[in-house]
Amino acid sequence: MSPPPETESSPAIVFDRIGYAYPGHQPAVEGISLRVQAGERLAIIGPNGGGKSTLLKLLLGELTPRSGSIRVFGVTPGEARSQRVIGYVPQRSEAERSFPVSVRQAVSMGATVGLSPWHRTPRAIIESVDQSIERVGLSAIADRPVGALSGGQFQRVLLARALAVKPRVLVLDEPTVGIDAAGQEQLAQVLDRLHADGELTMLIVSHDVRAIAGPQRGGPDAKPFCDRVACLRRTLHFHDSPEGITPQVLAHVFEHDLSAVFGQVHVEAHTAEDCNDPAHASGHTHDHHGACTDEHHDRLGGA
Amino acid sequence: MRTLDYLFGPGATMQPAALAAVAVALLCGLLSPVVVLKRMAFIGQGVSHAAFGGIGLAAVLGLFSVGAAGSGTPLGAMGVVGAFCIGSALVIGFLSSKSGVSEDTAIGVLLVASMALGFLLLQVHRSRPGGSAISVESVLFGDVATTGVTQAVVAWAVLLASAVALFIARRPLLFWAFDEPMAESLGVRTGAVRAMLMVVLAIAIVVTMQLAGVILATAMLVLPGAAALQLSRRLSRVIVLSVILGLAGAAIGLVISFETDWQPGPNIAMVYIAVFIAARLYRSTRR
Repeated sequence: MSPPPETESSPAIVFDRIGYAYPGHQPAVEGISLRVQAGERLAIIGPNGGGKSTLLKLLLGELTPRSGSIRVFGVTPGEARSQRVIGYVPQRSEAERSFPVSVRQAVSMGATVGLSPWHRTPRAIIESVDQSIERVGLSAIADRPVGALSGGQFQRVLLARALAVKPRVLVLDEPTVGIDAAGQEQLAQVLDRLHADGELTMLIVSHDVRAIAGPQRGGPDAKPFCDRVACLRRTLHFHDSPEGITPQVLAHVFEHDLSAVFGQVHVEAHTAEDCNDPAHASGHTHDHHGACTDEHHDRLGGA
Repeated sequence: MRTLDYLFGPGATMQPAALAAVAVALLCGLLSPVVVLKRMAFIGQGVSHAAFGGIGLAAVLGLFSVGAAGSGTPLGAMGVVGAFCIGSALVIGFLSSKSGVSEDTAIGVLLVASMALGFLLLQVHRSRPGGSAISVESVLFGDVATTGVTQAVVAWAVLLASAVALFIARRPLLFWAFDEPMAESLGVRTGAVRAMLMVVLAIAIVVTMQLAGVILATAMLVLPGAAALQLSRRLSRVIVLSVILGLAGAAIGLVISFETDWQPGPNIAMVYIAVFIAARLYRSTRR
């Protein structure tokens, strides 16, 4: 494993040899070194129980690492939390769908924390909320109750709520769970637009390789959720080398059963330039972010 | 009409009870949506039953012996019952969060323990020389006949204090109720919000107890909000409807009580249940 090459942009997230074990258990994660540049989109995939939730909790400051250090734009996760550096989009099941609030009320909840109870919501926050709703494409239904929304629309409400606090890092936990292909595609397009704005660093945690990769989800034009993929099963398999994430790595992470779960899938992540290699293109479909897929080769099954 | 005599006739004997009932209905209507949305009905049930233990304790401490007849629960006794309810609410919270006991088990244990303790302490109180006979039926199902001016003033003071507390905490309270993990991660002190609501709930139960009794106090805290949530999915409308339905149900139940001379708790509870069923039917016809 080699660290990603230094670029001119500053690192947004740095994990330096992080380890964590729950009391009385084997280490949940160990030796995690990770560097995400500002404006980059990284997906961390891995099987259930592989340490994804632990990694998220460490990043959000809900757990303190047993070893190593974490910095988010130069500050600790706890400081990042209090400074609202991170916008977090949880799995949608954590919010109460039957709650009688409108999209606008739900989105404003995060941005209004800490306001004086004696004052009305300031104009700047109202505008930030409206802007966030617009960025996720829900302006037309901003006054609709959240209970009347589809799963994909509700997921975008949670995304808008995270954006309304104007974070520098956006963390999405299993954004594709319980959402149909059309909803996933709309979410991917929203994330792509946010990425094009060039301000946000994104970290996406998922077990769903197929949805994260893009073309596996909705054809060759489908938007991917990320620029790079790292695989996590207790240790992190983070590859920026031209070889990318090999089928062997994925098979190791998913314990040889990836093809049984997802069908015959091959995913490689590598730098976008490598996709220009003619030798590489044969039999593969590409996207401009460097995720590379091939449904014809059962390379994982043989790995 | 006995109601008119009771309220406006000579002595206006039931005026304090009616004024207390209005305050209690407004208070419960205000709290009810959050109790329903946060699924706290069973906690309310546990805390209201804990009041019975508090009444037993107040009786043993001799707090019912001064001016008990015809003047409702004395202030000292209300204080002990209130402290018992708040303590019970906090114990439920502690047991379910720290000791690994599930919340419904913690409530079940506390509910039974409070009822048993209350009965035993009342027996001790009765067996003492000079121990006044406290009507268990009134405690369980409410009794407006003994509601005096003091109880009405206390009910209105509790309503105003609770309304101010809910207004101050409205933003964190809403976020906590909607999405507790996210509220916590964005800096809402969810433990404090929950504790505040539990304390308001416990105090509300103490003043509700006089009208609806220990057993049926929960009806006033659950049914107005449950009915309102059948009728609207907009928060402001749900709160207004809950308050209106709570007030209307209590008024109708109280009038039935005045006319029949029955305890108010069961009448109010039955009116609320009818309102809830009507709201449910209305919703099903709108689909």
